[in-house]
Amino acid sequence: MNGPILAVSNLGIDLQRAGETRRVVDDVGFALAPGEVLGLVGEAGSGKSVLARALVRAISSPLEIVSGKVVFEGKDILSADRRELMAIRGNRIGFIGANPMGSLDPRLSIGSQIVEKLRSVKPGIGRAEAREKVLDLFGRVRIPSPDARFHEAPFQFSGGMMQRVMIVDALVSDPSLVIADNITQPLDVTVAAQIIRLIDDLRQSLGTAFLFISSSLPVAAQIAERTLVMQRGRIVEKGRTEDIAANPRQAYTRTLISRIPPIWNNVSAPVATEAEAVLKIDNVTRTYRVRRRNTFNGFNAVKAIRGVSFTVKARENFGIVGESGCGKSTLTRLLAWLEQPDSGRIAFLGKDLSQLSSRSLTEFRKSFQLLLQDPYGSLPANMPVQRMIEEPLLIHGVGKAEAARLAQEAMAEVGLSMEFAERLPVGLSGGQRQRINIARALVLKPQLLILDETLSALDQVEQAELLDLFTRLQATHGFSYVFISHDLALVRRMCHRIAVMYLGRIVELADNATLFERPHHPYTRALLSAMPTLEDNRFPRSRYLLDGEPPSPIELPSGCSFRSRCPRAQGDCQRIDPPLLVIDGGNAAACLHMHEALTEKETADVE
Amino acid sequence: MTDIVRENAVPPAAAKRGATPTQRMLQIAFARSDFRIGLIGFGLLVGLAIFLPLVSSIDPVKIAYSSKLLPPFPAEGWKWPYLLGTDQLGRDVLMRCLVGLRYSLLIGVTTVVLMFIVGCSLGLYAGFRGGWADAVIMRLTDAQLSIPMIILAITILGVSRPTVPAIILVLGLSGWPLYARVARSVALGERNRGYVLGERVLGASDLRIMLLFVAPVVLPPIAFVAVLDIARMMIFESILGFLGLGVQPPTPTFGNVIADARKYLLNAWWIATMPGLFMLVSLTCLNLMGSALERARNAVLRGEA
Repeated sequence: MNGPILAVSNLGIDLQRAGETRRVVDDVGFALAPGEVLGLVGEAGSGKSVLARALVRAISSPLEIVSGKVVFEGKDILSADRRELMAIRGNRIGFIGANPMGSLDPRLSIGSQIVEKLRSVKPGIGRAEAREKVLDLFGRVRIPSPDARFHEAPFQFSGGMMQRVMIVDALVSDPSLVIADNITQPLDVTVAAQIIRLIDDLRQSLGTAFLFISSSLPVAAQIAERTLVMQRGRIVEKGRTEDIAANPRQAYTRTLISRIPPIWNNVSAPVATEAEAVLKIDNVTRTYRVRRRNTFNGFNAVKAIRGVSFTVKARENFGIVGESGCGKSTLTRLLAWLEQPDSGRIAFLGKDLSQLSSRSLTEFRKSFQLLLQDPYGSLPANMPVQRMIEEPLLIHGVGKAEAARLAQEAMAEVGLSMEFAERLPVGLSGGQRQRINIARALVLKPQLLILDETLSALDQVEQAELLDLFTRLQATHGFSYVFISHDLALVRRMCHRIAVMYLGRIVELADNATLFERPHHPYTRALLSAMPTLEDNRFPRSRYLLDGEPPSPIELPSGCSFRSRCPRAQGDCQRIDPPLLVIDGGNAAACLHMHEALTEKETADVE
Repeated sequence: MTDIVRENAVPPAAAKRGATPTQRMLQIAFARSDFRIGLIGFGLLVGLAIFLPLVSSIDPVKIAYSSKLLPPFPAEGWKWPYLLGTDQLGRDVLMRCLVGLRYSLLIGVTTVVLMFIVGCSLGLYAGFRGGWADAVIMRLTDAQLSIPMIILAITILGVSRPTVPAIILVLGLSGWPLYARVARSVALGERNRGYVLGERVLGASDLRIMLLFVAPVVLPPIAFVAVLDIARMMIFESILGFLGLGVQPPTPTFGNVIADARKYLLNAWWIATMPGLFMLVSLTCLNLMGSALERARNAVLRGEA
C-alpha cells in the first residue's frame, strides 16, 4: 500500500471535570508512512499519551473525542464498530508502555501469555504455530536462550528483558504500526540504548512503523526520522528530527532544547582544587545475606559494596554514577551512617564513625546530612512546614523559640515563602518539597550534604533552580556535596571529581574533564555512548555500547567483574581482579588493559 | 518558560484542603444521617444511665414483695413510678436496666481503651522495630489467640472473684492480640517510608519517630474500628453475666437479669425483654456510628473526599 498507513486530521479531545471542559488534544493532524519512525515529544501533561490512546479509540469518560478523523489503513477508527476495532487493536496496531513489569499476569509464564494474546487476536493460528512464532521473536529481540525463558514468570525477568518481552508482545501479531509510549523511561541508560538499537533493527527487518513517544527530545532523536513537538495538546512543530534539533523554528522548541545541558560542546566543567579531606572512605565493604529460595536454611551473600575507597574534599562536589544495582543506594546508606559497613572505615572530619559513642554520633550527625530522592514520601504528611523544619533542631535540643527563628531563617534562605509556614505539605510541588528537605538539613549547619538522586523526580526547570540554590549555599556555607546520580549530564555540570561504579566497586575515579573526554575504563565509555544527546556523541554506540546486562551480585564472574560484558576482555581478565590503578593526577581506573586500549585506534575517536 | 511548569503543578483545590485525613473523616461522618442518629440515641442512653439513678429515689436492689411482678406502663395494672414494671422481687425494671447499662458501658469502654493502648503500643513497637521484638510479641499474640475466651473467663473468674476489674482483665486479655496485629501490619508498612528515613538522618531516636510520626498514621484508623469493638465487648460482658461469671447479683447487669428472668418469661415477659431492648438499642446506635465512621474512612482513603 502506498500513502500513509495512519492519517490523523483535526483531532480534538476534551476533558470534562467538575463542570469545566478543557481541551487536552487540540487540532492535531499528522501522517505516518509505512515503516517510518515518528517521534512525538512533549512534557508531562502535554497530551501525548491521550493522543496515543485516541489512535485506537481507547478513550473513555471523562475524556471525549469531539472532532477529527483517525484513518488507519484506509479505515476510519473513530467511526468503526466494536468488531472492526477489535480486529485493529493489539493486532494491526501494537502497543508498548512504560511499565513493563506491571503489564503481564505475575502468575503465568511469559510465553503462554503472549501465545494466548496472539491466539485471541488471530483465532486461526494453531497453538504450536503460535509458539514457534513467539520463540522466533524472542530470538529476534535477543532474549538469551528463548526456549528456557519461554516458561519463566515475569518476576524472573529484569526490567530491560521485560521490555523486550513487551516488544515481542506488541510485534507478535505482525502489526503495521506500533505505539511505543515512553518505553525507555524506566530503564538504565545502557539498557535503554540497547532497546533503541533493537527497535531500529526490527523496524528495518520487519518494516513496522513506530510512533515513538518520549518526554525527551534527545531520546526521540536517536531513532525518529521525523518528530512532532507537542505543547498543551497542540502540535507546535513538526519536521525532520535533525532540522528541529539544529534550528528549531518555534520558541517552545527552542526552550526545550536550551534546557538540554551540553556534554561536550561549550562546557565549562568544574575543575578540582586541592583542599583538606572532609569525608574519607577506606576500603568499605557491605554484604547482605538473603535467604536462598528452595532451601531450608541456605543464604546467599549479595556483595553490594566491594572495597570502595574515595575522599571528598572541602567545598568539593563529588559525583557517584552508575546504573541500578551497582551499589549506589547501599553506599548512600553507609555514607549517611544508616547502616554500618562490614569492614573498612568511614571517617568524617578525621573521626572514624564506628568509634563514636552513640551520644557523640548523634551530635556528629548534624554535620553530614542526606537529601532523599522522593520528595513526596520523605516528608511526614501531617506536620506543618515550619514545624517540620524545626524538627531537626528540636531533636538536638534547641529551644522552641530559637528553633522557630532558625527555621524561618532557613525558609527564607532556600526560597520558601512564609505563607507556607503553617501549611501541611499537601499540594506542594516536588521542588518546594525538596526545598523543605534542604531547609531541614540546613538548620543543622552541616558541612557535607549527600544528594541521593535528589533532583531526579523534578522537572528540568525545578532542577535548574535547585542547582543554583546548591551553588549559592556552597558559596555562603562552604558545603561539600556528594551527588549520587544516574544522570551524567547533571554530574558533568556540577561535579569536580566523579566515581563510576559497577557491581559494588568503583571502576573509574577521575576529574570531570578526564572522565568525560578521556575515560579509561570501557564501562565509562559505554555509559557515555549510551547517553542520549543532540550533540554528536564522542563515543559512537556502534563501537562502545555494551551487550547484555550486569551479572547477578550473588555470582560474580571470577577475576575482573566487568569482563563478562567487556569488549576488551582477554585471558588474564579471568584471573586477575584489577584494583584501581592510578593513571595521573589522582585519576584511576580498574582495568588491566586501559593503556593498551588508549593506544589503539580508539584513541583516534577520543582525541 | 515558567508558565509551562505552573501548568503541571498540583491543582490549587488540593492545596487549600488543609484538613488532616482524620478531620475529613469526622466531617464526612457527621454529614451522614446514620451517624447522627446513632450518636443522638447513644448519647441519650448514656445520659439516662449516668444521671437517672443519681436523681431517682428508687433503689434497684431493694426488695418489695408488695409491688412484685407489676406490668409495664400501658398495660392494665401498672403503677407509678414503675414505668417498665417490676420483677419477681418487686424491684424496678427500668432502674435495673439503667444500672445494667452502666456496668455494660463501663466494662465495654474501659476494656476497649485498655486493649487499644496495650495492643497498639505492642503492635507498633513490634512492627517498627522488627527482629526479635517482633517475633516475641507476635508469638505472644498467637498464643493468646489460641485460648478461647470462655475457657479463659471460666479459669480466671472461677478461681478469683468476678469483680469489674477481673472481668475487664479477661475481656482485655482475649481482645488485645487483634489490635497488636493490625497496628503491627500498618507500622510494618510505614517503617521503610521516606519520612522515617529522613528523621533517622536528622538524628531522631526510634521512640521519637514512633510516637511523633508513625503513631499518628497508624492509630486513627484503628481508633475508628475500636468504636465497633465497644459493642462487641458489651455483648461479651452480658454473655459472662448470663453464665454467672459476670458482676454478681444482687447488682443488676444485663446478663444476670436476663438469666434470672428466664423462669418468668411466660407470665412476666417484661423482666427479660426490657434489658434485651436496652441492649438492642444501645448496640444498634454504636454500630450505626462505627459503620458510618468506617465508611467515611473508606471514602477518604479512596480519595473521594
